[in-house]
Amino acid sequence: MQNVISSRSIIKVRKKKKKGLGQYILALILGLYTLFCLMPILLVIITAFSDDKTIASKGYSYFPDKWSLEGFKYVFKYGRQLFTSYGVTIFITIVGTFFGLFIMSMFAFALSRRDFMFRKFLSMYILIPMLFPAGQLANYLVYTNSYKLKDSLLLLIIPLSVSTMNIIILRTYIQTSIPDELMDSARIDGAGEYRTFFQIVAPLMKPVLASVGFMMATAYWNDWQNALLYIDTASKNPLQLLLIRIQKNIEFLLNNKNISGAALAAIQQGIPEYSATMATVLTVIGPIMIAYPFFQKYFIKGLTIGSVKG
Amino acid sequence: MKGFLHNTWKHRAHFIMCIPVLLVLLFFSYIPMAGMSMAFKRFDFSKGIWGSPFVGLDNFQFLLASGKTFTRMTVNTLKYYAIFLILGTSLNIAVAIAIDQFVFKRLGKTFQSIMIIPVFISYAAVQFIVYAFLGNNGMVNNVLQFMGLEPIRWYINAKYWTTILTVVKMWNGVGYGSVLFMSVLAGIDQEMYEAARIDGANKRQQIFHITLPSLIPMTTIVILLSVGGIMRSDTGLFYQVTRNSGILYSTTQVIDSYILNALMTTSAYGFSAAAALYQSVVGLVLILIANYVVRKIEPDNALF
Repeated sequence: MQNVISSRSIIKVRKKKKKGLGQYILALILGLYTLFCLMPILLVIITAFSDDKTIASKGYSYFPDKWSLEGFKYVFKYGRQLFTSYGVTIFITIVGTFFGLFIMSMFAFALSRRDFMFRKFLSMYILIPMLFPAGQLANYLVYTNSYKLKDSLLLLIIPLSVSTMNIIILRTYIQTSIPDELMDSARIDGAGEYRTFFQIVAPLMKPVLASVGFMMATAYWNDWQNALLYIDTASKNPLQLLLIRIQKNIEFLLNNKNISGAALAAIQQGIPEYSATMATVLTVIGPIMIAYPFFQKYFIKGLTIGSVKG
Repeated sequence: MKGFLHNTWKHRAHFIMCIPVLLVLLFFSYIPMAGMSMAFKRFDFSKGIWGSPFVGLDNFQFLLASGKTFTRMTVNTLKYYAIFLILGTSLNIAVAIAIDQFVFKRLGKTFQSIMIIPVFISYAAVQFIVYAFLGNNGMVNNVLQFMGLEPIRWYINAKYWTTILTVVKMWNGVGYGSVLFMSVLAGIDQEMYEAARIDGANKRQQIFHITLPSLIPMTTIVILLSVGGIMRSDTGLFYQVTRNSGILYSTTQVIDSYILNALMTTSAYGFSAAAALYQSVVGLVLILIANYVVRKIEPDNALF
């Protein structure tokens, strides 16, 4: 026994020192791949701060001849619309995330009660939409034609608020990380089910709510498809739809003047400029980039919980 | 039955807590499922979905008669599904193992954090980034010219787009996908490696005999989950990144982008509804089969 322990500790010591050539090659490969992931994002940032005329004449570059803040000044010419869109996106992200977390965690709580016979039905009920989704066309027709919800922000909020996977993550967390004894003792002390949930269980769910919440928030923030299908009024355009509109404008310009040197010059003077577009892209993706490091820990944990079958 | 009712009454608080989700799914998932009956109807806007006249299988006949479009979008959908599944899963596993084996843990964590970032960028934004690389004065053409080669007009050459979309998808999803496998690797008992080392196994043998086999259950689940979506695609990738350009359809049009395009441009929904139903039914049948097969072989790895 003594022998085993000592040989193990020797191995551990040796392992710590072992940084052979292979590790440096691995570092190089991983580094290159990381660079591949980073380069496009860097290009967005650099282009946003580049001088527009240089891009028009020499093309996109990581080392622009001239830096400029013109792009951002231009962004403010989209001005009002950009601020409105920011407002819409922030609104649907916050309302949707909290609404979804609220109703899904209550559902997950009920689903985690093992002696609740109805739960078999509930499990099936959430599984079926995942296996047999109606698809965007049927959704579109029912939402707009039967419910008459076209151009309503409700369609940007409710359909994304419930997802089978997230309910399973929440349920698994309650089952594995919150001891039943805790809930039982709360009941013995006379707390009803609602009180048990809101005062005992919900506070303990913070880590999983953070991870699911972050995933939901990014889904809301990045949702372009529902916006494209359902939203018409400019005052209800979220950021992603604004991006699509800008792209449509560029396309319009390009298609009108058959791509040529002359057209490039025209676009240069025209509305959407390279650096301004990238500056807009940056303002759209920026907030998530900033939030990500704070949520990373929870985010990775959430993904991991989801993979546990329960 | 009496026991069941009694049990439900006892748990009435739990039942009430379920109601919001039950209602959301009823109105936003289940009723639209009934709306799929559009596939058998001729849509009449004034009469609505439920009042539109039945036309039997006419829509499906149109779908099959469209021949080229139908085949093209089915083939493309399956092609990209296969590429993304095989290449994506392999890269996920490769990256996960690489980071797991990496001795410089802090650096590895940083690398991993950066690799995940692209998944948070919506395709509405990604299309601008792709354009910055592939546009006429984009990065790639700059490099080509620098090397003395002819610039390529990417956006009018369909043949390049299978590769382009694959690269974009891998850039977008591999870092994120590897997290799942990382969590499995972190759970492997380190003593197994030590025992193997004492028995004289080298790194490669350890990976093939310990690491890879322990990833099988997770890989099965990932594949199983993806089978149901075999007819579905990352719509943004095919609709936004290609700028929905008709010239590129031959290699880029998938069923989902076709339906979205139909929704945005026409009001002849019957045809697309047939395509949508075809898509959902194939997906459902495949996931049921796949799950059945897995349950026969390894019951623990089945989904349900």
